[in-house]
Amino acid sequence: MGVSQIEKMGTLDRELAQIRFARLYRDQGRAILAYALRRVGDPDDAADVVAETFLVAWRRLDEVPNDARARLWLFGVARRVIANRHRAERRRTRLAQRLAESLRAELATHPTPASEAAEVLRAMDELGGDDRELLLLVCWEELSPGEVAKVLGISSLAARSRLHRARRRLRALMERDESAGSPGPELDMEEAG
Amino acid sequence: MKTREMERALAGADPVGRGRLDGLDLEAMEADLLADLESDFSALRESEAARLRPRHRKRLALALGSTALAVVLATVLVLTGGGSNHPSRAYGAELIRFAESTPLLLLEGPGWRVQNVSQSGQGAYVPRSSRGAGSMEFVTGKPIPYESVRITCVRQTMSKSGKFPVCEAERESGMLPAAVRQRKVELRWFHGSLADSLATAHKSLHPHGQRWIELPVLDTTADVDTRAEFYVNQGERGNRQMTALWSEGGYVLELRAAVPDLAAFEERLDWLTRVDSRTWLDAMPAKVVKAADHDAAVGEMLKGIPVPPGFSADQIPNEGVTTNRYQVGAAVTGTVSCLWFRQWGEARRSGDTAAAVEAERAMATAREWSILDEMAKEGAYPETVWELAREMPSGYWEWAGHRHPLLPRAEGLGCARWGIPVLPRKQRLQRERR
Repeated sequence: MGVSQIEKMGTLDRELAQIRFARLYRDQGRAILAYALRRVGDPDDAADVVAETFLVAWRRLDEVPNDARARLWLFGVARRVIANRHRAERRRTRLAQRLAESLRAELATHPTPASEAAEVLRAMDELGGDDRELLLLVCWEELSPGEVAKVLGISSLAARSRLHRARRRLRALMERDESAGSPGPELDMEEAG
Repeated sequence: MKTREMERALAGADPVGRGRLDGLDLEAMEADLLADLESDFSALRESEAARLRPRHRKRLALALGSTALAVVLATVLVLTGGGSNHPSRAYGAELIRFAESTPLLLLEGPGWRVQNVSQSGQGAYVPRSSRGAGSMEFVTGKPIPYESVRITCVRQTMSKSGKFPVCEAERESGMLPAAVRQRKVELRWFHGSLADSLATAHKSLHPHGQRWIELPVLDTTADVDTRAEFYVNQGERGNRQMTALWSEGGYVLELRAAVPDLAAFEERLDWLTRVDSRTWLDAMPAKVVKAADHDAAVGEMLKGIPVPPGFSADQIPNEGVTTNRYQVGAAVTGTVSCLWFRQWGEARRSGDTAAAVEAERAMATAREWSILDEMAKEGAYPETVWELAREMPSGYWEWAGHRHPLLPRAEGLGCARWGIPVLPRKQRLQRERR
């Protein structure tokens, strides 16, 4: 591998790659942004995750599936980007900066969750990270167990069985809260202010 | 509760439900993404050229951004200048509440002051790990400039298909010199378990191995990671990175500092002092952009900026109770630029040369807008405004050897979200929504 090989990309390959990549961003950018926002909360961090995820995608464009599975592939990358985030260091790209600025205005306030939603969120907070991620992929990203398996890099069978366990744990937590008399949504409501 | 009901409740709790991101103009940011990629390409070429250079084989080549990739601290308050030696001021309930949402700690070392404060949201939808989390930066001496961290590709190859360059090993560099970094201390806080935080820290990247000790801090003991370097090329004698972790008052606290040696780190821990909210706010530099000062700040920033006919300062959005000058500056310069670009776009479509030239001349003064110079130390927004202004007479910007229309790129300044879309398509959408 040498400069010449990279330079060769200056022609047709490179243009095709750019077109494909721009389409990938247009088709999947919003889904990846939503994924990031659901997991990191802070708009600045979410913007970083999106920008970094697409830079990884650019560098590995030939590994990105050329169909609907591209979204799953990007979720997998975004998940690793989030896991590898180092609190103290932030790599800021143009996209991340602009996106963060827009997000701060767009999502200036969090919606107030309904009491049922507040209860389930409270229970989710107590779940382990893996269980939480599985359930979020199903309920928020609306993925099937087979698709979840692809994002997490596990077998479909393992995804189904883990999902079953995660549901059971969540239900147990919610039932425990119900029987103990939930502290009520007031705390979260106040926080959501 | 049945599984289906439970999952329905969870789906209903989605903080980014349908429509929440509809107002976000992701497409307008495509140009920024493409510019990031352009930097990536140049960097890979540079990296490869450096690799092949026989004698001056540069160890550090850029991979993510030939222009500096900035490390930006998201700040609720950006505090510039000032210090703690001013008389106590009267504080509104808002600021008192803000102060009390922090652990109320100050680093009372001789000559040290607060540079930044950041506090994340508290909403129910904010992940538990982020709720109530925040950070402060303390510095001594001159203000610490905006730090650029570059990603170095130290080993690269081509992808399996032979079409794409792939970086196999990266190194981050471009940090400020050790002597500058040692003039800063970062304090972070978050709700959580100290045991979990320590477990995570023990598992994190440690290029020089780990060495943990215990040191006193406030009324307790901190676990101190004395080899907390994040970069491979840190960690030599006189250039250490250390992190202390402890818990108190329901918070996990983390103090990070670049120090010459352990004694300097012990000293910094010793300077940490618990204070009341008034003293904490007194320590904040005077130049805080607050809601009350927003209009004054906007007025000051607008000085010397030519504005289009019919412009009113009310058009500049006020985006927060307490906000930073960078954001206010972006709103001011962005709003004015969007208005000029809208006039320019309409003039070019209708053939009104005079109006187009008026907009070009106004934007040509952007290099002299003092707020942009100030913001350039913190981020890339000014660079984009300058670039757009420069390309205005041609009507195009270049990327990868191709000319692209300038207006969609100008839209990326945030025009649509500020209610001043410059693209006809966006303007139509705006009219329909009304």
